[in-house]
Amino acid sequence: MTLASTATTGAPSGQRPQLVIDKVFKQFGVGPGAVTAVDHVSFDVKPGEFVSVIGPSGCGKSTLFNIIGGLLDEYEGDVLIERERIAGPHKAVGMVFQEESTFPWRNVIDNVAFPLELQGVNKSERLDRAHHFIDLVGLKGFERLMPSALSGGMRQRVSIARTLVSQPQILLMDEPFAALDEQTRLLLGDKITQIQQDLNQTTLLITHNLTEAVQLSDRIVVMTYRPGKVKRIVDIDLPRPRSSDVVSSDAFGHYVAEIWADLREEASRGMADSESARRGGSRG
Amino acid sequence: MAATGQVKDFTATMGWARGGRSSLRSTNLIRIGLLLGMGIGWEALSRSGLLFRDVVPSLFSIWAAIWKLVMNPAFYANLQVTAWEIFASLAIGGGLGVAVGIILGANRFLGAAYEPYVYYLAPTPRIIFFPVMIMWFGVGVASKIALGALSCFFTVALSTAGGMREIDKVLIRVGRSFRATPWQMAMKIYLPAMRVPVLNGIRLGFGTATVTALLAETKLSNQGLGFMIMQIYSRFDMPSLYGLLIIVFILAGVGNLILGKATGTSA
Amino acid sequence: MASPSFSQSRAFPILLGASTFIGAFVALEVLLRYGVVNKYVVPLPSQVLMSLERIVVEENIVGRMRDTAWEMFVSCIAVIVLGVPMGALLYRWQPLRRALLDWVAALAAAPLVLAFPLFLVIFGRSATTVIVMSVITGLAPIVIKTTEGLLGVRSVLINVGRSLKMTDAQMLRMILLPAALPVIFSGIRLSWTFVLISVVGIEFLINLGGLGQLINDLAERYDLPGTYGAIGFVILVSVIFFMLLERVESWLRPAR
Repeated sequence: MTLASTATTGAPSGQRPQLVIDKVFKQFGVGPGAVTAVDHVSFDVKPGEFVSVIGPSGCGKSTLFNIIGGLLDEYEGDVLIERERIAGPHKAVGMVFQEESTFPWRNVIDNVAFPLELQGVNKSERLDRAHHFIDLVGLKGFERLMPSALSGGMRQRVSIARTLVSQPQILLMDEPFAALDEQTRLLLGDKITQIQQDLNQTTLLITHNLTEAVQLSDRIVVMTYRPGKVKRIVDIDLPRPRSSDVVSSDAFGHYVAEIWADLREEASRGMADSESARRGGSRG
Repeated sequence: MAATGQVKDFTATMGWARGGRSSLRSTNLIRIGLLLGMGIGWEALSRSGLLFRDVVPSLFSIWAAIWKLVMNPAFYANLQVTAWEIFASLAIGGGLGVAVGIILGANRFLGAAYEPYVYYLAPTPRIIFFPVMIMWFGVGVASKIALGALSCFFTVALSTAGGMREIDKVLIRVGRSFRATPWQMAMKIYLPAMRVPVLNGIRLGFGTATVTALLAETKLSNQGLGFMIMQIYSRFDMPSLYGLLIIVFILAGVGNLILGKATGTSA
Repeated sequence: MASPSFSQSRAFPILLGASTFIGAFVALEVLLRYGVVNKYVVPLPSQVLMSLERIVVEENIVGRMRDTAWEMFVSCIAVIVLGVPMGALLYRWQPLRRALLDWVAALAAAPLVLAFPLFLVIFGRSATTVIVMSVITGLAPIVIKTTEGLLGVRSVLINVGRSLKMTDAQMLRMILLPAALPVIFSGIRLSWTFVLISVVGIEFLINLGGLGQLINDLAERYDLPGTYGAIGFVILVSVIFFMLLERVESWLRPAR
């Protein structure tokens, strides 16, 4: 089991890591009932790199997401962006949430232009830039529709466009496709891959979906079930540019099998844990 | 379970401005503080002489007035009249309301035909029917009962009909699947399932009947708490006016609370 | 009990309702004409209908509606201006909410309108009394619904705001209020309904201006058809007001 020591060693010569997670530790509650959600997790994300954090439900992935996003301030260890410890949400980070997060009272283009509105960008430029990103996520022609008229996958693309429009240096996503069906997920994965390659977008994806992680990532951080530690970091050497076709390749299958071997152990621990909790009502 | 505990802790720390958990003690401290502050402010205003005399009477004089009212046999005579009016209104209007509500709620067709009338008439000012009620039932207790019954009929009928529609349709299908007879369906399925909407309707009807009966008494009557309020008003006896209003609010609140507890529906 | 509807048409029940409604008046007219019901207690529906013209022409209905509308307008604005910030305060400051929300709910159920003689002493028989009383009657629902609406804003929307480093004021204006608006408006509808009932009711009770007084006047003159006609007119106005509010509310509610 390779623990946490890859934080800086993996960086190619001269290339400074953009995002560094250093021995981050987070515990909920106090005393004997306390639950350690994230246990000394360390890894980094280099400029232009796509990294996924994968683990079974209950491994503290979402907690990690909230810490990196600056939504959760009380934790031990450091989250560094350009060598500075973050305090609150960092302006370089754009977040995409797992839950439906479009504003139901704004139409598509106003949703996407929202961050620019906050920045005080004038209207014509705002709309231009919003149009560009709506086009990028493949929603051209839907600008004037309200979110209620869109499918779940389209709404999630609106959220992604809204995050991209302010051109964050780091894109941080928490299971953005969790609520979608498998086909939509693969196709949206293509979209994300393409965007990430076009923009050379540094991306950190939190997911529990193995094929999604392998399809999209340059590196995968595998986490253990409670407490959430880094079990292994796997480099994915699949050719770029990629598309969802990659899922049929031998190399893809090899990676999936390899990571699943790690993940299965953790997931079954999690399952046993939740079953025993249900049976005995005792704390896991 | 650890997992749910974690999620809960997590959301507690996440929400914007949701704050931490404050204890029951601090809640009570705030309540006591507010009451004290309001009381002191009131008393100070009363003694400052900034407002017309008696508009803000001293708390002590209000307390004395309450005491005098509670000791006054006339108060109980009037209370009895008003209580009877409310009870009779609720029995007549509420009873009809429950019956009509059940029919409108259970039968989709009749509901579609007649419920809009109940629905749109319910939020209209009912006190304006009082002259008509006086023409029909005279100036005595009967006209107040009629007006009270008319008011709470709408409230109870709407609430009951709404509750009936919320009865889980699957329960009815379950009953049918066991080949229950119509009598069994009524006794074992509908009646138990209807209990909550009906009782809740009656509790709401109590509030409407109370306000309407009391308001009608203030307009034209020679007995009842509403009459007593106007009597005190005509003497410009402000401490007693405050005192009686406080007593009436407390009684109405207690009545609502008792009905809520008795029916298992919250306020 | 749940008998299957014998017609699938949507218009049929509406027609039945309307024809029952009209039929009741026709039956009443017939019963009155044959003397089954006392003509000196219930006027002929046809007379009531004809009295409407007289009311409009002779009783200065335009001026009365203007008075009532003005009192309602001021009260309706006041409940929003006072109630929404109060609800927001209860949302923002949790200890205050825990201490006061139950009390506000109790106030909503209390027969507050009975306090009108108190304000009669303070403000006299004036529009101020009507307005103050109506605002007090209508305030609680809007406060409660504002708090409820703000508490119900999905936390992910708040997190979007936080991730964009929005200020508290921006958060309130651009996320919390729009997200809570449908619920807040259902509170506004409730409050405005209370305000309408209270304005007309107190006008009637204290015999001051407006539509409420019209009924009182006609009843005191023992103008039977006129009284019934005026009541019908006020009911009609209330129903239209209520229907309009409902239309706005359903328009604000997101389709989701």
